[in-house]
Amino acid sequence: MKSVTLDVNGKVFCLDVPDGELLIETLRDRLGLLGTKYSCLEGDCGVCTVLADGKNVLSCLMLTVEAEGRKITTIEGLAQESLHPIQQAFIDEGAVQCGFCTPGMILAAKSLLDSCPLPTKEEIAHALDGNLCRCTGYVRIIDAVLSAAQKMKKTP
Amino acid sequence: MKTTSPVGKSVPRIDARQKVTGEAVYVFDLKFPGMLAGKMLRSPHAHARIVKIDTSKAEKLPGVRAVVTAEDTPKIKFGSNEYFFPYTVDQYPLEFEKVRYIGDEIAAVAAVDEATAERALSLIEVEYEVLPAVFDPVEAMKPGAPQIHTARNNIGVMLPVCFGDPDRALRESDYVHEDLFVLPSAAHAALEPHVSIGQYEVSANRITLWSSTQAPFKIREAMAKTLKMQEADIRVIKLNVGGGFGGKLEMFPMDFCACLLSKKCGGAPVKMMCTRQEVFSCTRRKHPMIYKLKSGVKKDGTLMAITGEVIADGGAYCSYGPTVIAAGIMRFMMVYQLKNIRLFGSRVYTNNPISGAIRGFGGVQSGFAIESHMDMLARGIGMDPAEFRLKNATDPNTMTINKMILSSNGLKDCIRKAVEISGWKEKYGVKKEEAPGVFRGIGLGIAADVMGSKMYKSHESAGSIIKVEEDGSVYLFTGAADTGQGSDTAMAQIAAHELGVAYERIRIKAADTEITPFDTGSFASRVTFISGNATKNAATDAKRQILDVAAQELKLDAQDLDIKDEQVVNKKSGKALFSFDQAVVLCYSFNYGRLIIGRGNYNPKTTPIDFRTGEGNISGSYGFEAQIAEVEVDTKTGRVKVLKMYDVHDIGYPINPASVHGQIEGSIVMGLGYTLHEDLKFKEGRVVNPSFSKYRIPRSTEMIPIESVFIETNDPQGPFGAKGMGEASLLPTAAAIANAIYDAVGVQIKDLPITPQKVLAALKDIKNRKQE
Repeated sequence: MKSVTLDVNGKVFCLDVPDGELLIETLRDRLGLLGTKYSCLEGDCGVCTVLADGKNVLSCLMLTVEAEGRKITTIEGLAQESLHPIQQAFIDEGAVQCGFCTPGMILAAKSLLDSCPLPTKEEIAHALDGNLCRCTGYVRIIDAVLSAAQKMKKTP
Repeated sequence: MKTTSPVGKSVPRIDARQKVTGEAVYVFDLKFPGMLAGKMLRSPHAHARIVKIDTSKAEKLPGVRAVVTAEDTPKIKFGSNEYFFPYTVDQYPLEFEKVRYIGDEIAAVAAVDEATAERALSLIEVEYEVLPAVFDPVEAMKPGAPQIHTARNNIGVMLPVCFGDPDRALRESDYVHEDLFVLPSAAHAALEPHVSIGQYEVSANRITLWSSTQAPFKIREAMAKTLKMQEADIRVIKLNVGGGFGGKLEMFPMDFCACLLSKKCGGAPVKMMCTRQEVFSCTRRKHPMIYKLKSGVKKDGTLMAITGEVIADGGAYCSYGPTVIAAGIMRFMMVYQLKNIRLFGSRVYTNNPISGAIRGFGGVQSGFAIESHMDMLARGIGMDPAEFRLKNATDPNTMTINKMILSSNGLKDCIRKAVEISGWKEKYGVKKEEAPGVFRGIGLGIAADVMGSKMYKSHESAGSIIKVEEDGSVYLFTGAADTGQGSDTAMAQIAAHELGVAYERIRIKAADTEITPFDTGSFASRVTFISGNATKNAATDAKRQILDVAAQELKLDAQDLDIKDEQVVNKKSGKALFSFDQAVVLCYSFNYGRLIIGRGNYNPKTTPIDFRTGEGNISGSYGFEAQIAEVEVDTKTGRVKVLKMYDVHDIGYPINPASVHGQIEGSIVMGLGYTLHEDLKFKEGRVVNPSFSKYRIPRSTEMIPIESVFIETNDPQGPFGAKGMGEASLLPTAAAIANAIYDAVGVQIKDLPITPQKVLAALKDIKNRKQE
């Protein structure tokens, strides 16, 4: 067991966790943040994507002890008073079907837009390549990220 | 509140906000006090007799709460096409005599955590007598092959279809062509793994099962049968489902065992979840199929006859075998006017994993074979493939040779429109070298789809209930199972329009077998059409009840009133008489005391397919589509790049255009994966690529431009003219791409996936032949 101090969605948690506990387990089982989804546990699908210091990481491949000292953002931490423009764009563009990939996809998109505010379609596709979706064919997901980028540029 | 009708508009999905914020709850997210972890013990052998199962060591492991084997069950078999095909009922929830594939379930464990449950599995001692196994369906049909069930030559399902005089028609044809097409298996690869939680109530002898399913009522039926309980004592609840695509359409032994283990543990809830490897290896998969076709045409393009044989590798159990073989054989009869047909379909048992339903049922396999074959027939007589299809495509208001009634049918318009928007006439048959050795081509495929299929029960009804509360809130209860396709949204739109209220008023509850009306489930593109009609009828009924009170109050005839844009209006004068809220308050008021509860159901006029003849009007209506692919083929590397897909779809009328486009785009990209790289591979019955890293589904970087256009035929039976459309766009994709490759470089690839190696080999082959 190890004592860790985690910063998740701007809140600080002091936890005792086994050395080998995965970040996804801590987020879901200890903190009740169920928006981080669980699918392959092998780092292949991207549904467990969260942000660590603003960069998208797979919470099934990260140990909780490794997350100490980094700012972790899950899908629950994205909306402030209103939805984040990427979340709103996913709704408006019809980019949500089963929704299982959606939280990870939105966080991967946020990581992209924070470093590259006006990406091309190709850049978006490249940035989301590790996040699988079986429902949409990605068409509307990429459109949503594009539209969010434009809206975020107008209202910084 | 917005008050215009939501039907025909791309309103936001009813569940979108919860899904983008992470609030949406899936079964795996549920946690109950005292919940145990369950795990299945699966056979390591492809075919073996079970001599002895000893669970005593596992039971003694600290932390283990219960172990179950077939001895804890009533030993009753289940199947998925049970009503019309009782001979296909062939699987025990836990096997005890034999195992028939690697992954077959023989025991289950519940323990305090997953690690303990897994440890316990390793302590269960099973003595097997390994039997010879067979993995190739053609081998399995030969005399002397290992007998998997009792079916003669291991043929579990047979569908012989013969109409007209095909031999004579072939003799009278000007051109006859023979082909062999080979289709591999594929995985549904829904991102949410299969998961279920069972909880037994000891005092009431009742069960609640939360399951990630497309068909809650189907599970209830199978569960009641195999547990020897009343359906009334089993409650199946569906929450958000993270994709299904046909892979979550049945009861699985894990559903059964979660409940049985809970019972043995005195009522502690038991959660079972498949690992990704289990999803790939031990749930369901696409039927690998072989199509041997021989067909003939006249010089003028008249399709004279299609004949041949279809062999499907069914794997260890029958699952939806009859439905798949029927779809694999009969879909083209909705597409082509044809009088002479002879096809023999066999679904063969092997010791491979279980083949079952997957988006399109057998239609994806037949779509590739038939649509590639049709291009080759057209080529044989020097006819443009689009012209050829226009000449032979079915028309509206006709009956097919096997008695399917095609009422609205926009197939020919779909073909014409696809030809127009793709620039087909300028592009087809024109050799175009983009770069040295890189050629462009264009190809076409067409398809038809059902909306419902009378294969599961004697009826295909769906029901809806709408209650309007005193405060004006509108609740819609439907058994329809939204698995991500957006049916909850479509149902809410239909209810809002029919009731004359804003979309935002509708709260939907679906699906819970104890609360919501019966619905057979989400499959066969049936929900918008069947459940949509049921919902429309329920809203009509609720509206009638409100208008009766309004008419009584105003001393008018209810027939003259309607509810539009949240107002009770006089139909003749157009004058608004009450707001919807006022009318509802009136219904509940002192003088009336009328609670508004609308009910509706819908049972399409269909007949089951007679498997002796192939006749039957399986669906209430039919959907149609044409698809065109533009590709680039690099003759140096064999690499095929799909540049653009054009999809023109007769969807009747789009209830939610964005959702409809979303279904089409998702289908096409799924089809693209199956065409170019998806291939669930087996070695001696074992899946060799059971992970997302080894079984590649399309990624965002493979996204292609898609132009999707609707043909609105306003189906006379469909709700607001809508038809089902969740599967059709996947059916012609592979053939459209394969035909485009031919147009580019002159090779027709007849086995999927179309890998660069296959393209190079085919190019080398024609080069060699030219040199000879």
